[in-house]
Amino acid sequence: MSWDFISNLLLASVRMATPLIFLSLAELYSQRAGLVHIGLEGLAAIGSLVGFLVSLITGSPMLGVLAGALAGILVNMIFAYATISLCAEQIVYGMAINIFAPALAAFIYRVYFGAGSTLVQVTLMNNLSTTLGITSDNFLLKLLLDQTPMVYLAYALVIFTAIYFNKTKSGLNYKAVGEYPKAAATLGINVIGVKYIACIICGALAGMGGAFLTTCYSNTYVDGNVAGRGFIALAAVIFGRWSGGGVLLACLFFGFCDALQIRLQVGSFGVPYQFFQMIPYIATVVVLALIGMKKAGPKGAGKPYLREDR
Amino acid sequence: MDAFLRMEHVSKRFGDFYANRDINFSVRRGEVHTLLGENGAGKSTLMNVLIGLYQPTEGTIYLDGKKVRIDSPAQAVKLGIGMVHQHFMLVEAMTVFENIILGDRNTRGIFIDREARTKEIQALSARYGLEVELDKPITEISVGAQQRVEILKALYRGAELLILDEPSAALTDLEVEGLFDIMRKLTGEGKSIIFISHKMREVLRISDRITILRAGRTVCTVDRTETNGEELANLMIGRELAPSHYEKITEPGEPVVSLEKVDYHKESKHNGLCGVSLSVGRREIVGIAGVDGNGQSQLAQVVTGVLTPDAGEVDLKGSRVAQFTPNGFILESVSHIPEDRNKMGLIGDMSVKENIVLKSTDTPQFSSARGFHLKKRAIRDYAEQMREKYDIRCTSVEQEARNLSGGNQQKVILARELEGQPDLLVAVHPTRGLDIGATRFVHDTMIDAREKGCGVLLISADFDEILEVSDRIVVMFEGQVMGVFSGKEPPIQEISLAMAGK
Amino acid sequence: MKNSNKLISVLVPVASVLLAFAIGCAVMAGLGANPLVALQSLWTGAFGNLRNVGTTLARATPLIFTGLCACFAYRCGVFNLGGEGQFIIGSVACCYMATQTGIEGFPAIVLCLLAGILAGGIWALIPGLLKVYRGQNEMIISIMLNYVATLFMGVVYTNWLREGSVPQTMSVPDTTKLSRIFGLRATTAFIIAIVVGLLIYYFLFYTSKGFQLRAVGLNMTAAEFNGFSVKRYILFSFVVSGAIAGLGGSAELLGTQYRLINGFAAGYGFDGVAMALIAQLHPLATILVAIFFAALRVGSTTMQAATGVPTSVSDIIQALVIVFTVAGLAMVKLSQFKAAIDRIFARKETVAS
Repeated sequence: MSWDFISNLLLASVRMATPLIFLSLAELYSQRAGLVHIGLEGLAAIGSLVGFLVSLITGSPMLGVLAGALAGILVNMIFAYATISLCAEQIVYGMAINIFAPALAAFIYRVYFGAGSTLVQVTLMNNLSTTLGITSDNFLLKLLLDQTPMVYLAYALVIFTAIYFNKTKSGLNYKAVGEYPKAAATLGINVIGVKYIACIICGALAGMGGAFLTTCYSNTYVDGNVAGRGFIALAAVIFGRWSGGGVLLACLFFGFCDALQIRLQVGSFGVPYQFFQMIPYIATVVVLALIGMKKAGPKGAGKPYLREDR
Repeated sequence: MDAFLRMEHVSKRFGDFYANRDINFSVRRGEVHTLLGENGAGKSTLMNVLIGLYQPTEGTIYLDGKKVRIDSPAQAVKLGIGMVHQHFMLVEAMTVFENIILGDRNTRGIFIDREARTKEIQALSARYGLEVELDKPITEISVGAQQRVEILKALYRGAELLILDEPSAALTDLEVEGLFDIMRKLTGEGKSIIFISHKMREVLRISDRITILRAGRTVCTVDRTETNGEELANLMIGRELAPSHYEKITEPGEPVVSLEKVDYHKESKHNGLCGVSLSVGRREIVGIAGVDGNGQSQLAQVVTGVLTPDAGEVDLKGSRVAQFTPNGFILESVSHIPEDRNKMGLIGDMSVKENIVLKSTDTPQFSSARGFHLKKRAIRDYAEQMREKYDIRCTSVEQEARNLSGGNQQKVILARELEGQPDLLVAVHPTRGLDIGATRFVHDTMIDAREKGCGVLLISADFDEILEVSDRIVVMFEGQVMGVFSGKEPPIQEISLAMAGK
Repeated sequence: MKNSNKLISVLVPVASVLLAFAIGCAVMAGLGANPLVALQSLWTGAFGNLRNVGTTLARATPLIFTGLCACFAYRCGVFNLGGEGQFIIGSVACCYMATQTGIEGFPAIVLCLLAGILAGGIWALIPGLLKVYRGQNEMIISIMLNYVATLFMGVVYTNWLREGSVPQTMSVPDTTKLSRIFGLRATTAFIIAIVVGLLIYYFLFYTSKGFQLRAVGLNMTAAEFNGFSVKRYILFSFVVSGAIAGLGGSAELLGTQYRLINGFAAGYGFDGVAMALIAQLHPLATILVAIFFAALRVGSTTMQAATGVPTSVSDIIQALVIVFTVAGLAMVKLSQFKAAIDRIFARKETVAS
């Protein structure tokens, strides 16, 4: 294995980890407020399509990402209303979102482009190095500069999240809502409000994670392009022990698996490429199996919060 | 003296049920005002109205002479009302410090100013003698310390009126003394306290005035100096307390179950067992007395096969238990009334009928072809029979168990657990949350089972209940057996000391 | 009380369907089509003549299997989202059996179906074991295994069992194909699906073990305290639910598709979950919902031809049905809503008496 292979692999890992970071943070914010959300796959799908369409229409991938976030928020408001106000089961409703949102995305795509459409492509977001006009073969420079602004945003969000939950008053209150909503309520924390805010954050981040796929990663939209990342993000949150830093490491690991499978496919070695494609999924299963029983998630996660509970 | 808090004609209705009806109640500055009443008398509901968790259906609340609307807990905090709930409102995953500053609105800034906050908290804790270790996680401190955290939490938010909901329920005697010292300090500084309890001795010691609630209504308010325990008890129950003691048995039959030096998570004081040896004989009720959380739950789960002990031996009807599974114990005719009806005893979404036959659908009585065809008719008829026999009040045996009242849910469990003539009955807090009628029914049923030759292990945090039915009393403290006493003319003083670990 | 509960559990999905159609019509109108014409062509496409009915039932068949798969596992309180993977693995095993062993005729059909059942059951055992012994989230694991199964099928049709230049497997022999009913598109696979549905219904509601399995699903702690082996039931429910999906995969291969190809079974797993949820985990209702879903799909093709409305409108309608049903079922459980319902019923009773 050459240095070239390894450096390319590492660069690709960082790129592949980015959508996972967005999605995992989305899940983290949701679960920290006591909402287990298995519908991220769906949110990412709609974010991905809307991001694609808007960047196609406006020519601006940035606007695409923004629109993707908005779309994620809008769809997630359905989840919010059903699980927070109607106390629907979160798992079941997450599943409903997983069915609804991709169907909506596929429908909008068909309507917009017509039935027998040709492949439509958009221009991808520029790397910082391109914007700055710096080209270099130095690995470190590439790692630092050959990235889209979304990558920097992802890392900034991780740092922000770690500080928010550990150092701020608001973050402490937020965590209390996920741990013990009734206790939070007796202290005057607006539990319902925090949960809705969590859904806005979650929708926005998941939408951005989806939009990343069509504005920074691949220049076209296909149904199913999220490819299970919404679920891998769930595993990453468990693996990362519900903390910003832990989630980052978990995403880098899964990103590495993804990058590895792409690199290995190129090498092929006479093995059917599908076996390489399985790597991220099998890695997820193996990681979950190894973590075992230890439960460290927010205590109130998954349970509905009824105000006048008798 | 004018009242600091006045509640006038307050009612709270849930559906068709009035939990509070036309309540009048006032608290002065610097007094300890006790709310006395049985379970279900409406104390907790009234307090939840006061702290803004519930909205009153009718009535008005005055604070410092001004009419107030408390429409959220945040509003209650703002008005200076703080409550220490019976089940602590502490976030276990956080430290003492974090729990105290949680939801803080008085300080500026986005970040937590650790140093400044620590100083404030330490000043408060010094002033009222509330010792806590700020950096410890909640899970690592004792129940008494958790309570101090709760009080500090309220004071930190500037509480002028403090509600203590059954604060002594989980404390040892020594800890109760400490609590009373703190309460006196607080009232000395002009704070008002609403004290909720049904322990007569404590109420008489600490209160200035006492308001009695019964069935959701106020009965009256009396001065401590003008009353006595008997009068209060009568007011609380609404009739003379008949000294109806069951006959105690002093010579039980051969042991049904015996434990020899059983350990389970020995190092845990609150959720473990340490060298427990005891036995329950046929025709005998053994009562386990002790403050909640001293290993009783674990004891119950070991003798029903839910937990496997780490060390020691358990003999069931003379033979050693090799494998601990609930099913194995059930096959040996061990019945279990678990501590949490809804979580462990009943399948809430299933009907009364299905819950009654839950354990026995494999028997030929209820299914043919080795369980491959349920005899629905037979199940229904049997359930109807049980409904009659155990006086289960439900619209039909098809009703979902979760929609029954607590007492009727317990009767469903009794019907299931006692009908098969068990050799051993393990009953954990069997009357918790039940009204007097249902409690009496449960006690009668246990005595009845005893008469039929069943050994009964009764675990209860209600000392009166233990005294009422036990033939032998075993006291547990921090996972250990502190002493065994006769149930006939029990030495109450000694037992109380043993419960406090002395 | 009991009656009002039953009524509501039927009313909510029906109202959801109506609401979903209303929105669907609005969308069609927005696209410039006449909703009435569209609905009519949707109906003719799905049920207009015997042939179309046959096509609808054929489309419903695999959905019934994945629906029952989801339904069975959730009855035991575990969320098997891996129906698709189990379906696929079942069909792969069946395909191998049908094309590689040289057996033919009726015994071959039985063996092929058995291979599918076995493979699906074993595939479902993986999340089951990880759930029971490692306490892991069965949902994530079973979904991950869906991707693995799909990719594995890819290996099979692009490499191992590939025939010709197109990436697809060879066809199963004619004698191993399931026979059609009255020459329609629907095959005996549909009959098998109905029989499986009836068997599950009987098992859940008329046998002692089924009763205990439901008890485990509704309250695991209480079930354990009452002496049921919770772990064993969870494993059992996973295996059976996987076996149902595996059987579905083989039946689909022998009855409709005949060969594995890209896109085989895509989306069936989640469709199954959706159907089980709409049917509120009732096996027979699941069958009805599956037929409804299939009708939407088959009919939408005719609708597209007649009105130009894209077929994916039917996907939207389906998705809306699940979104509304689940929300609706949660809503009627809210205490305020319950009180209102009780009042209405109480009033009716007093009027009647």
